Amino acid sequence: MTVSAKIRLDAAEKRYASPRGEDLQALAPVTLDIASGEFVCLVGPSGCGKTTLVNLMAGFEKTSAGAVTIDGRPVRGTDPDHIMIFQDYGLYPWRTVLGNVLFALEAKGIKGKEALAKATEYIELVGLTKSRDSFPHQLSGGMKQRVAIARALAVEPSVLFLDEPFGALDAFTRMYLQDELLRLWQEKRPTVVFVTHDLDEAVYLGGRVVLMAPGPGRIQKVIDVPLPWPRERLGEGLGRYRRELFEEFHLVHQQSTSDVEYEI
Amino acid sequence: MLHFLSNKLLPLLALVAFLALWQFAAGFWPPELFPSPLIVARALRELADTGVLWSNIAVSLARFTGAYLAATVIAVPLGLFLGRNPRCRRAIDPLVQVLRPISPIAWFPLAVLWFGIGNAPAVFIIFLAAFYPVLLSTISAVVGIPPVYLKVAANFGAKPGAVFLRVIIPAAFPGIMVGLHIAVGTAWIHLVAGEMLGAQSGLGFMIVDARNFLRTDWIMAGMLVVGVLGLCFNIGMRRFELWLGRRWGGIA
Repeated sequence: MTVSAKIRLDAAEKRYASPRGEDLQALAPVTLDIASGEFVCLVGPSGCGKTTLVNLMAGFEKTSAGAVTIDGRPVRGTDPDHIMIFQDYGLYPWRTVLGNVLFALEAKGIKGKEALAKATEYIELVGLTKSRDSFPHQLSGGMKQRVAIARALAVEPSVLFLDEPFGALDAFTRMYLQDELLRLWQEKRPTVVFVTHDLDEAVYLGGRVVLMAPGPGRIQKVIDVPLPWPRERLGEGLGRYRRELFEEFHLVHQQSTSDVEYEI
Repeated sequence: MLHFLSNKLLPLLALVAFLALWQFAAGFWPPELFPSPLIVARALRELADTGVLWSNIAVSLARFTGAYLAATVIAVPLGLFLGRNPRCRRAIDPLVQVLRPISPIAWFPLAVLWFGIGNAPAVFIIFLAAFYPVLLSTISAVVGIPPVYLKVAANFGAKPGAVFLRVIIPAAFPGIMVGLHIAVGTAWIHLVAGEMLGAQSGLGFMIVDARNFLRTDWIMAGMLVVGVLGLCFNIGMRRFELWLGRRWGGIA
């Protein structure tokens, strides 16, 4: 473990009481360091605790045991410096594109001309200048997610969490937005924690891919993908890491299906 | 052309058919018992010429507006508060569930005992009729706000006041509008009932008074006016909602 970790998970664990009062472990103790400016993907089948893990880091949920620290400070709740992007965008339908971005800036205390200039800048950055005065329902899913990204980046967070952000989009839009996200990340260099259930997406985007396994949620394996961006989707280099990830995932899959059979 | 046919011509034809049927049926009874549309139209003109109609409409509209606004001003903030406070909501829910099925009309004897004859009992009944739809739809609108809206606001560090004004109220607004629309209908229906029972003026009173004189043509004229005004409110409310919907990003 390096001292300079941006995000540090130290045996972070999450338990719930089920409706019947049973103690359920959603996430077994997880230890992981994420460096500043890193792009990390959390990938795994449903029930592997990846969303729980990102919620612990973003401060939407509290750890049951262990610690989550960002910049050396324990995470106690949400923080405007650590912004989460959701699959269902979380845009306000009564506000225009501009209004949605302004909401974030106003919450941060930025007002008037300065806010307008900043919002305009980030709307342009995601290529939505023409739709500045449109309402969310007039936009496609991909455009909505770009608004959410512009809104998040406008407050210049040091950490960006994305919880299956492209899961609801069609394949073409998804590929386009993956490249857009990489471009924005390389320009602004926030630390990115990206949750997905798509192995291809994880290995294409992540500098590191954290493969998780269910029952209880835990880290199965961390795979380094030391390839420069932009990457060749069908390139030789990526193929190797892709194979490694798929083989590892196959093990997870076998385990979880045999668990199911065992339970039956 | 087909559009015009189904949107304008068919309703018009239905109306004409209804009037024809009415005129035909009225032929079987003496006009004192069942006046024909022509007689009712004449009665309407008579009431309008003497000014009785206008003064009663004015009184009814004033009562309606006052009671409706009072119900809105109390029910919306209360609904917002209860929507945000699950504990208070759970505490008060059984009480609301018991009071709500009691028709506002059932309150009438008490209303007269408490407030006497005049404006107050009618206003009280209209108030009750408007209060529950607005309260309940406001509560469910607030409870139904997608959690992600609040998560986003919290994440960006919005202060509680800003969350309330800029997220909760606008997010609940379309649902509140539904309640306000329903309440216009129920309040207007109960206005006439309230005025029939305890008032000395207004459209409801006009109808009861006409019965006392056995003027069935005036009764029907009064009913017609009540119906047409109700229709106007409905159209006005729908226009207002469409206008709001455009301003609200098309979700109202």
